Amino acid sequence: MRNASETTRAAAPAAERTAGNRAARPPLLRDPRRLVGVGLLVALAVVVLVFPMTTSVGYLLSTGVVILNYALMATGWNFMGGFTGYISLGHAAYFGLGAYAVAILIDRTGMSPFLALALAPLVVVVIAIPVGVAALRVRGASFVIVTIAFVLILLLVAQSWASLTGGSTGLMVPRAFQGLMRTEHHQVFYYIYVAALVLALLVWWRIDRSRFGMGLKAVREDEDKARALGVPTFRAKLIAFAWSAFFTGLAGALYALWFGDLDPVFQFSILMGAYMVLMALLGGVRELFGPLLGAIVVGLAIEFFKAEFGDTQFHLVATGLLLALVVLFMPEGVIPAVKGLFARFGPQASSIREVSAQQLLDGTQDAPDDDAPVAPGGVGRVR
Amino acid sequence: MSSALLLQSLILGILLGGLYALLASGLTLYFGVMRVVMIAHSAFLILAGYLAWFFTVQTGLDPMISLLITVPLFFGIGVLMQRLLITRLKPASLTMMSVLLTFAIALVIEGMLGFTFTGVQRRIRLDYGASSIEVLGAQVAVVKLVAFGLAALALGSLWFVLKKTSFGQALRATIQHKEAAELVGIDTAKVASYGFGLGLATAAVGGTALALDATIYPSLHWHWIGPLMAIIVVGGLGSIPGAAVAAMLLGVTQSLLQVPLGTTWAQTVFYVALFVTLMVRPQGFFGGRLAQRF
Amino acid sequence: MTATGTVTGGALTVRGLSKAFGGVRAVDDASVEFKPGRINAIIGPNGSGKTTFFNCVTGMIRADRGTVTLDGRDVSRATPDRIARLGLGRSFQVCRVFPRMTVMENMLVGVRSTAADLWRRADDEESLERARGWLRRVGIDHLEHSEARNISYGQQKLLELAGVLMAEPRIVMLDEPAGGVNPALIGRISALVRELNAEGRTFIVVEHNMDLVMSLSDHVVVFDRGRPIAEGAPAEVQTDPRVLEAYLGV
Repeated sequence: MRNASETTRAAAPAAERTAGNRAARPPLLRDPRRLVGVGLLVALAVVVLVFPMTTSVGYLLSTGVVILNYALMATGWNFMGGFTGYISLGHAAYFGLGAYAVAILIDRTGMSPFLALALAPLVVVVIAIPVGVAALRVRGASFVIVTIAFVLILLLVAQSWASLTGGSTGLMVPRAFQGLMRTEHHQVFYYIYVAALVLALLVWWRIDRSRFGMGLKAVREDEDKARALGVPTFRAKLIAFAWSAFFTGLAGALYALWFGDLDPVFQFSILMGAYMVLMALLGGVRELFGPLLGAIVVGLAIEFFKAEFGDTQFHLVATGLLLALVVLFMPEGVIPAVKGLFARFGPQASSIREVSAQQLLDGTQDAPDDDAPVAPGGVGRVR
Repeated sequence: MSSALLLQSLILGILLGGLYALLASGLTLYFGVMRVVMIAHSAFLILAGYLAWFFTVQTGLDPMISLLITVPLFFGIGVLMQRLLITRLKPASLTMMSVLLTFAIALVIEGMLGFTFTGVQRRIRLDYGASSIEVLGAQVAVVKLVAFGLAALALGSLWFVLKKTSFGQALRATIQHKEAAELVGIDTAKVASYGFGLGLATAAVGGTALALDATIYPSLHWHWIGPLMAIIVVGGLGSIPGAAVAAMLLGVTQSLLQVPLGTTWAQTVFYVALFVTLMVRPQGFFGGRLAQRF
Repeated sequence: MTATGTVTGGALTVRGLSKAFGGVRAVDDASVEFKPGRINAIIGPNGSGKTTFFNCVTGMIRADRGTVTLDGRDVSRATPDRIARLGLGRSFQVCRVFPRMTVMENMLVGVRSTAADLWRRADDEESLERARGWLRRVGIDHLEHSEARNISYGQQKLLELAGVLMAEPRIVMLDEPAGGVNPALIGRISALVRELNAEGRTFIVVEHNMDLVMSLSDHVVVFDRGRPIAEGAPAEVQTDPRVLEAYLGV
């Protein structure tokens, strides 16, 4: 009954409401929510850029670098995990590969560290693509298993192929900048990391609003449906996977040049992969700045634990508990939770109510189960 | 390779394969009843190993007696885990989120083990620890035979429960088609939690068997989870016979490859098998379409 | 507006299609020709293989044997997304939309894109306009900004149809379009199908509602035990003794 009348009635007001929807967006100063967002972003940028100038304490600077490294890795992870919903627990593989690629390129060819830095992420992508071709043939659980398996394989290889990787003792990486003081070294790498992170964020943002990104997000929601609508899902997932490996590999390459000493157990650690997942999940995988926020929170916590309690098993327990809490109670992440609070109590609340009042007048507001005599997944599915 | 060495490796492979088969069956149970990939399975395995070691150190009794405690304990933990944690996850993202949740549990167990027992490597001393007997001309350590016997016994009991009891029938029905099982009056929620407990009980037995003849340390579980995960994908997620056959085959292959390649490279056989499976038959060699969709 | 305008082509030929699950032959040597510009209906008792046939044709399930030709092109082994891009759109038996996306985003997923266009904004004016055109035609344009999980089942069905149309198919396959919706909406959907068919789109509809099948379709194919046993105009099929036998088991 309802639907027949609904369609004729809705046509007129809808046309006005939708005309030039995007053009009608209010200017920045009149849109409180966007203003808050932009303000936060500017404040964050200022803090990030000014921080290294305010201190010459080596420990603080190196903590800053470590957190930026986490942020770059987590943002890299989110190219796959966030867009497609394919959760990789083995992304440490690409971090380790990036680091080893830099070290081996410099060691074997004697090329400049900067050239090695530029090539290493590409090497990682070249290795990641065949892995992706295999891993992306399966979904869900099997995919996670493959990602874990891959990092375990690389750990075995790094430890056993001593002639190339230095085996269990690892590799030393030559310095990229000669004659820098320790704090200067940290400062330089701090800014290089910031640049890399900005690049990663820009690419993620660009994909997020593109047609390609729309296809990826459709995969996250319902992969079979996306295919039925013509989204080339396999190719799309593979491209996202390659970008993800690229930025995670870049983090590894930078880390090698910054830290200067590679240990296979650290480079190919499942725990590192878990950190990336935890950070992205905590911040919010659907959000541009989610992994960055998660990296700041979790990264600071990890560094605090290590400083306070030493390298005990305690950080394992803490990481595990935090991950379990996030999965159980906040799988959407902090940013969407805060946004939800804003929407309910913030300045926007009144206008939302106006819209629903308008809809009430139109009579267009429908309960979700309004005309659904058979619920989805009911009798029709058994066959 | 001499034929005696070959025989020796073959026998050791079969003994190892038995343990893999038991543990992989547990993993398959979780997946079957709940579509959960239980990363913490091998962490519980090591936990059971530690409990067996601790039991023997404290009481001086045989570690196998600790099974009287650990099997019911693990069964209970499994039931509670399913009821209190797994059912809280949203059905739409259950598989992915359960991976993360059980991964988190694995980290907590590893951390607590390190905290409580330190990272020192532990080994149970047994009277029969050093003795070996001749099997078909090959020398096989008694502990390995005992461990295999334990695994075989547990696997046999599991088979009996699944095939011959009404609970087993309900469990298999739930694995095959949950909605249909509900329609014929099976309380699938209860069955699922008992299935989970049963799966964890296999880890209790496996851990004791492992502790009989291996050195244990908290991070050991990472060496087990990779091969076990590979086994259940190769076998086909959700198929217990598939898991058992894949476990035997891969266990034997690993053991045979150890002679020419060394232990480290021999371990890659699991991962090679995993990637070959994905390229050739992504649903696993014994599984249905289920495996590809979860 | 691109939401209307005529469409040409849309011939689908299936020869010797077979698919077995274990020992069960769900589709058994099925050959059917769907001529362009018609509204075809597939009917048959439960378990007669209609949905499996559907899934094989659209590439969701790989058939064991047989060929599928779409406007002269062999698509027997093509992936579902390729088949969709070649002009065959489909709906699902239990309607499927992207629950966490808005209605508009649901529409934008179907936008055709060349490799060069992949980085273009998903919500460019042209796509938005086209999407609004379709939403208006199915009558849910007022819901553009709602999340798809928050609209009613009937509205989701309309959204699914609009989403399929956004991808510009020449052939539209609908799996039980009247399933689970109220009579008024059935009327609306069947009117839409007629309009869209008049613009040149071929339809293939699997449906249980006999009144709808008889009033809507030009050509009916009857499935039983995995293959077509009769076909023809609705009136002919209705009186065919083989059909009565299949349905009533006489």
